Amino acid sequence: MENHKIGVYVCNCGTNINKVVDCESVASHALDQPGVVCAKSYKYMCSNPGQEMIIKDIKEQGLNRVVISACSPRMHETTFRGALSKAGINPYFLEMANIREQCSWVHTDLRAATDKAMDLTRGAVRRVVHHEALEKRFVDMCPVTLVLGGGITGMSAALELAESGNLVYLVEKTGALGGNLARVDLTAPYLDSARDLIRERILRVKANPNITVFLDSRLDTLDGYVGNFKTMIQTPTGEKVPVDVGSVVVATGYKPFDPTPVKAFGYGTNPDVITSFEFEKMLRSGNIVTSKGKPPRYVTIIHCVGSRSEEFHPYCSRVCCMTALKYGQEVKSALPEAFVYDLYIDMHAFGKGCEDFYKQASTIRTIFLMYQKNTSPQLLPAGPKDDCGMLLRVDDRLCGEEVDIPTDLVVLMVGMEAREDSAEVARLVNISRDRDGWFIESHPKLDPVATTTEGVYIAGCCQSPKDINESVAQARAASARIMAKIAKGRLEVDAVFAEVTQDDCSGCRVCNDLCPYSAIEFDPDARKSSVISAKCKACGACVTACPSAAIKGRHFTDEQIFAQIEGVL
Amino acid sequence: MAGFEPKIVGFLCNWCSYTGADLAGTSRIKYAANLRVIRTMCSARIDPTFILKALLEGADGVLICGCHPGDCHYVEGNYKAMRRYPLLKRLLDDYGIENERVQLEWVSASEGKRFAEVVDNMTEQIKALGPCKVRTSLAFDMAER
Repeated sequence: MENHKIGVYVCNCGTNINKVVDCESVASHALDQPGVVCAKSYKYMCSNPGQEMIIKDIKEQGLNRVVISACSPRMHETTFRGALSKAGINPYFLEMANIREQCSWVHTDLRAATDKAMDLTRGAVRRVVHHEALEKRFVDMCPVTLVLGGGITGMSAALELAESGNLVYLVEKTGALGGNLARVDLTAPYLDSARDLIRERILRVKANPNITVFLDSRLDTLDGYVGNFKTMIQTPTGEKVPVDVGSVVVATGYKPFDPTPVKAFGYGTNPDVITSFEFEKMLRSGNIVTSKGKPPRYVTIIHCVGSRSEEFHPYCSRVCCMTALKYGQEVKSALPEAFVYDLYIDMHAFGKGCEDFYKQASTIRTIFLMYQKNTSPQLLPAGPKDDCGMLLRVDDRLCGEEVDIPTDLVVLMVGMEAREDSAEVARLVNISRDRDGWFIESHPKLDPVATTTEGVYIAGCCQSPKDINESVAQARAASARIMAKIAKGRLEVDAVFAEVTQDDCSGCRVCNDLCPYSAIEFDPDARKSSVISAKCKACGACVTACPSAAIKGRHFTDEQIFAQIEGVL
Repeated sequence: MAGFEPKIVGFLCNWCSYTGADLAGTSRIKYAANLRVIRTMCSARIDPTFILKALLEGADGVLICGCHPGDCHYVEGNYKAMRRYPLLKRLLDDYGIENERVQLEWVSASEGKRFAEVVDNMTEQIKALGPCKVRTSLAFDMAER
């Protein structure tokens, strides 16, 4: 029996943990547990001095197991595994107890939180004794990338990769590249032409021999794992083209909100109530007219249609405020005599150049009115003496009165929403969606373009509403992540997978069909099953199902989990 | 039972529920401190023996959490957990353990608030049930023999 020497490190996380959990007590409680030879409480375990302390203890005291009670393992497990490796012991000899996200941040009672932190730490101590040294696993990295979506984001990602010499397959669902931006006239806040931005990208994509574009096509299947995905692309002829790639960038974008259900504006029945995208079409053609074919004298722009609303989407769509200000500029330049009313809830002018753009809007005399969130301006017919087509009744919060404003053309600033097929895309590439249908990133701050499926990245508006520069930045970030992997040539992947103890296998084949990745093969001569480790994603379904207990789920063994159960109770 | 603070063991899948529990933390949503979480990669890995083991070791309740049906990181692992669950419930009745002590809930990675509600609800229910007696009754059975 191996002689276990466990070191326990209780992180205070500044005051994040220590404020609610008595870290000193947790450390001294841990010291009483069998096998624990040192237990320390320290301000920041993840800091350099923190890690160096752990490394020093491992070396000097001969520690062979380490427990770190700190933040979520999803945050710093990799960091601390690195520290163990540095100290010369196997990185899998680590176990973390989550006493921040799942303890100090969610509890207020010092006593109860400290008790819980002690229990969780004890569970980790009992578990870590059963940890086994796992060897590194390497897989090849295919330098080819699949990009889903041919909008500004997808094209930017494809170009970045292709111009560094890598092959890219760019799959676009519609018949043309450009995405939603191809329907836009000018862009805020610098009034660059969207057409110029898009045309430059399209020309470069088409001219680049490293990029293969599939139009009117979609991803049919995706199997495999990081560096080694096998995909099928369905082309318009119904043909399925097999493509092997190492990485996937999902840049499927957004869908503009359909304002038909917003009853107050009569969109769909009143031809002079149009969406921002329909207005862009007028701007692009240089022909701003009402349904009667005349230039409008009064143009009203209504913000937050479908956004920041209890009834439709609770979130802010981010780009509409600046687009609305842009419309003011464009209307005034095309029709200098026209009046522009801008009806907003709050003006969100964040970002570079945007506050100046807002200021500029008042110099061209856009008339601003502020309406209440979760209320709606009402559209009324104009009276016989009015010089306008319609009236809009607004409860204006700036003057505190209900006012009727004249209008000939109403532009609804429709927000962004997740595409109808986002659930299908998420399933195909195995990523998650949030309650609004946007794809979820690996970490909102530290890992914004990666996902929980290694090798699959998200960029642009499929993750949440964002403007062009942010989308392009994400596209290039995803490309950089992929190029870093390609540069390495070989990838180190988690050493956690299932394995069949051949002597114990009865050859019943129960596990064969259970595996979602077809990672279990059956040898008909020996009548035994075995796991193809590179294909295994370590879910453990087969481990639990095996009637002979012949399958071991590395790093999640029965012994380890049983010991943890005993420990936490 | 006044002052009874149950201990509940939670088995959470790594991708949805554990992440959802972390989100409750980063969002600073407060909930009862009675849950002790054990992470597995997928709810399909949660062996019925883990649950029985927890109850025998003194847990007053066991919470199983996985991704919502149709949203499993491992395609359909949660369906495997879902199919095992009613069988285990029946087994608990046979053992004389109130089957409400074991609960299965789906919590996605974005449902920090829901996770907190699940824990609070379950804690209340287990408080109402009182301590799980299986450990003591089992010890008594053993002594009888």
